[in-house]
Amino acid sequence: MNTGTAVRNINVSQSIAESLRLEMERDSRVLVLGEDVGLQGGVFGSTRGLQKAFGRDRVRDTPISEMAFTGMAVGLAMEGYRPVVEIMFVDFVGVCLEQVYNAAAKIRYMTGGRVAMPMVIKTAGGCIGSAAQHSQCLWGTFAHLPGLKVVAPSSPYDSKGLMAAAVESDDPVVFIEHKGLLLQKAGSFAHGAEVPRERYTVPLGQAAVVRPGTDLTLVTLSATVGESLAAAGELAAEGVDVEVVDLRSVVPLDLDTVAASVARTGRLLVVDEDYLGFGLSGEVVTGVIERLGPQALRQVARHGTPDVPVPAAITLEQAVVPRRASIGQAVRAMGAAS
Amino acid sequence: MDGPTLVERYFAMVRMRRFEEACLAGVPTREIHGELHIGIGQEAVAAAMIGTLRDDDALVSTHRNHLHALAKGVPAQPMLAEIYERATGLCGGFGGHMHLFDLERRFSTTGIVGSTLPVALGHAYAARIEGRDSVAVGVTGDGGANTGGFHESLNMAGAWRLPLVVLIENNEWAISVPFEESTATPTLAERAAAYGAWGRRVDGLDVEAVAEAFGEAVAHARAGHGPAVLEATCYRFRGHYEGDLDLYRPAGEKDRRRQEQDPLSLTRERILARGAATGAELDAGEEEAAAAIAAMLAAVRADPMPDPATARDHVFAGAAAQKGLI
Repeated sequence: MNTGTAVRNINVSQSIAESLRLEMERDSRVLVLGEDVGLQGGVFGSTRGLQKAFGRDRVRDTPISEMAFTGMAVGLAMEGYRPVVEIMFVDFVGVCLEQVYNAAAKIRYMTGGRVAMPMVIKTAGGCIGSAAQHSQCLWGTFAHLPGLKVVAPSSPYDSKGLMAAAVESDDPVVFIEHKGLLLQKAGSFAHGAEVPRERYTVPLGQAAVVRPGTDLTLVTLSATVGESLAAAGELAAEGVDVEVVDLRSVVPLDLDTVAASVARTGRLLVVDEDYLGFGLSGEVVTGVIERLGPQALRQVARHGTPDVPVPAAITLEQAVVPRRASIGQAVRAMGAAS
Repeated sequence: MDGPTLVERYFAMVRMRRFEEACLAGVPTREIHGELHIGIGQEAVAAAMIGTLRDDDALVSTHRNHLHALAKGVPAQPMLAEIYERATGLCGGFGGHMHLFDLERRFSTTGIVGSTLPVALGHAYAARIEGRDSVAVGVTGDGGANTGGFHESLNMAGAWRLPLVVLIENNEWAISVPFEESTATPTLAERAAAYGAWGRRVDGLDVEAVAEAFGEAVAHARAGHGPAVLEATCYRFRGHYEGDLDLYRPAGEKDRRRQEQDPLSLTRERILARGAATGAELDAGEEEAAAAIAAMLAAVRADPMPDPATARDHVFAGAAAQKGLI
């Protein structure tokens, strides 16, 4: 991941805008549609400058009509375009989920592979103190629906490279930025801080070991990667050497990398900012057991947002959403020192 | 453009009727599964599109889609094979009767009521930004016209002057709920004004009237004047799906409508009254159509079923399918 370039102190949303700009330059079939993506350049700035560079036909401000413009992207994909649709907050996807899971996700399959659906649903998730309707992750929801690739990057480097790979993919990709990371400067990241100016891709479905360790495998993604790295730093001082694996995508799920790590450490902790029940954490644990057998795991634990709506008061949110301190607690509770 | 003659349209309707009867044959034999939706009684609306729509125009259809596909020129045999769930079908048996796709002819469907218009909007936008004079037709029923996607799509098409033609088949029933109990206004066409669209209601049993109105709607959109809403009134002769007991409609009314308002009989009578063809000529053509569809059905029934080993294919492009969670 170290590319040798100097850290440019851009933020995550700028790295995404830069990625989209490069994709739009190399492929005239790439379009961006959504609320406030044009003139304003997105509420987080992740489409900033694109309309000015590519014009209104290719970067279009839409009315607040998610069902219509998401379905519009389905039609455009069938016309040979590679639309990037922005659903401003992932929490709003309910109003257009029909087009996401019945159209975008299924058309390749329903046509026996004869129609590709190269669209990106770009959206922002994550718990940011915005209460029950504006602080969800929902990647587990999308991952449950066959036919969608689901990506949730944790760093500026990955945000740019995974977006390029998502746009290039012939499959529909739900690309979930983290609201809490978008405006964070590259310099503040402990991993993936260097963002080359030129185009590159980070392949979909490849997890990264962002911190090697020997005592325990901590599997996570998106903003909790940074939180986990911070926790791992504290735990190292206590004599616990945590390996942190960033999944980077939920579908495809790179269980090979996770299983290889767990085979070394014997302990697995899944940290998930999304709802705990019926979600990513259960999938990772089960997938590892299926690969390695239960005897390979000395310990298994999950630390996720419990199955409650995200509360408004910040003290309540802190009580339910995994963050640095609670992640450290979860590891300590496993007594993982070798 | 010179459209088909009335006689040609009539034979198109006859082929549609025989085609759907061939579909009906597969239900009791359990060759066709799921909720088969038949459009018998609504042939005039579909046949009216022939001659106006070109290959480069898009048509996005509903769960009741066979007639529209035939009108768009989708080849009948792979369609029938798809409906019969065969490997030789339009989508290799992965789509089924509710999900017919023919990319070459820009024909697609959805089994979800009201979800056609957003997709049609995408085709309309593509035509617009490429400077093509193609149009996109989104078909919906009177039920689908009450979904949010109808409003969102027409508003966007109106605001951006997109060549979207909304064809509403108002067959009076949204499953068991009658039109007048579910809709705020006496017609759906009158909503056009709210979207800056061309709008008209037409008798959907009169193939010539629909063809003329549809031609106008398409011409309006093709000329760049924005969207059009054409409401064609008709009547669903069978239940919502095959197996629907259809007790919500009085049997007497159904019988009367089938007797007196069958678009095929009405068209045949008109042809004879005008002397456009003789009864013997029509009989001969009808027999020919019936024989052709019967032969097609026999051929389809001899086709192989899809290989069960392929059931996990096609979720993702290429090798990704092997890598994913499937």
